[in-house]
Amino acid sequence: MKKLVVTMLLVAATATTAHAGLKVIGKGDAMRLDPSAFPPNMKANYEIMRVKCVKCHTLERTIVAIQTGVAPISGQPFDRNATKAYGIKMLRKPDSNMNKAEVKASVDLMNYLLSEAEK
Amino acid sequence: MFLKKHTAAVMFLLGISSAPLLTPGTANAIPAFSRQHKTECSTCHTIYPELNEFGDAFLKNGYVYPHKKEGAKAATQAESAGNEWSVISGLPQQIPISLTASADLAYDEDAVDGNKVDLSTRSITLQAGGSFRDLAGFFATYNLYSQGMQRASSLPTPANNSNVPSGNSPDLDELFLVWRQALGTPVNVKLGRFEPKLSLWKKSNRILPVPSYASTTYRVGLSPFSSDATEDGVELNALLGNRLFVAGGVVDRNGQDRKDGYGHISLKIGGTDFKGQEPEVDLEKDSLWDFLSVTLGGFGYWGQNGEFDANGVAQNLNSFRRIGAEADILYKRLHLKGSGSFGHDSNPDFGVFKTAVDSKAYTLEGEYYLGAPVNLVPLFRYEYLNAGDGAIKRLTPAIAYSPLQNLRLSVEYTHSIAPEGTGNIAFASIAFSL
Repeated sequence: MKKLVVTMLLVAATATTAHAGLKVIGKGDAMRLDPSAFPPNMKANYEIMRVKCVKCHTLERTIVAIQTGVAPISGQPFDRNATKAYGIKMLRKPDSNMNKAEVKASVDLMNYLLSEAEK
Repeated sequence: MFLKKHTAAVMFLLGISSAPLLTPGTANAIPAFSRQHKTECSTCHTIYPELNEFGDAFLKNGYVYPHKKEGAKAATQAESAGNEWSVISGLPQQIPISLTASADLAYDEDAVDGNKVDLSTRSITLQAGGSFRDLAGFFATYNLYSQGMQRASSLPTPANNSNVPSGNSPDLDELFLVWRQALGTPVNVKLGRFEPKLSLWKKSNRILPVPSYASTTYRVGLSPFSSDATEDGVELNALLGNRLFVAGGVVDRNGQDRKDGYGHISLKIGGTDFKGQEPEVDLEKDSLWDFLSVTLGGFGYWGQNGEFDANGVAQNLNSFRRIGAEADILYKRLHLKGSGSFGHDSNPDFGVFKTAVDSKAYTLEGEYYLGAPVNLVPLFRYEYLNAGDGAIKRLTPAIAYSPLQNLRLSVEYTHSIAPEGTGNIAFASIAFSL
């Protein structure tokens, strides 16, 4: 019983306070996700997001949208329709340096993260 | 070397080249919007004050963030949490005011006063803009200071020192309200002083606001009318569907019993629509339309003006019209703009004996966006103008750089060809907004 309580306390201490389904590291501009529990293909997608998206904005913006289900600037619902629309928006931005495969990977990752956040 | 040796031609060409540099450009790039929506300038701009597709949608939406739904509960809650006073009163939570300032350096080999290198602290402009609970949008531009002409002065104060030209009188350039989607219809009602919706782009919607496009800024004879001048008026505009925009309005011109009338129509094919919604793109297949957007526009303006007598009544009236067609093409980093305007003035010199003038002007501009977000733009502009005094051509290569999104540096070189001769002027500018 004692062991169980200690284990539970340790789990509680290491768990993120941000959202039950997402493991978030850091705050503000330094906010990022811990991809250790991601499936291999999503780990690869996360690497794309981590490198490409931060050229123009922090990952915090994306993570907050996924956690809350609301895009932080527009206040619009951030769902599976929104992830594709944002992906297309970034694809079409001049010199975003993202090709379709990279945008698709980012959209797939955001959809996966939305599913995880709902758990 | 730079000009043929004809004094009249020198004076004329200097006027052509330099006149636009003496007036500050208005700007729709206002940090008040960034502060209000907690987003960066590049959300709406390439290099400010030029708008990107989303910025254009924001403008058309009466300064309300596009596709903002009343049902966005979380946003509403966030907005009203602790800010009930703002929601109830309709007051913006922050004072929606911005400042834009500019300074420039002109090089003219043949300056009349021998001052080949002229450094000028050019202007400072106050702007305000936003919306009242999404019901009405508002926008104002007030020129606090713009450098005037050089005048001798015996006063020792810096503002009146003969080495520092005095400022022009401060003036209100724009002040208008937009009643958004009046009475539940798609029609927006704009009232106040504004630039009538004729061109696809406001005069401030440029990478290089100075000089403005010949096709929309040209004047004929003594008539003060230009397509991009701000006027007191009422305008109705509406989005029909997501890709067709129409506008029409009346302008109250003083000193006479007639009102001017105008109309505009524009159609967007491909790209982000006028509501700011992204196009449907298949992420598995490639198509030309993934990155291509074409906007076509047309406009007409019919008006009358005259020379005011001592009682402020217009005399020797001039009836005029402008008909224009424009295209805006965006493909990835390449942005092409084309604008043409044809005019007719029945008496542009306000003479007792009328002499009609037909005019035409074209502008073609190509820009190439570099950086992520866009922070470096080389561009080339070609302009043709014939306002009754013979054909004038202007070629302007330029480069604009934005090390920070609220700071713009630009260098441009203009080569002018007129019946009287040729002229060249180089012009560097720095502008910032806060």
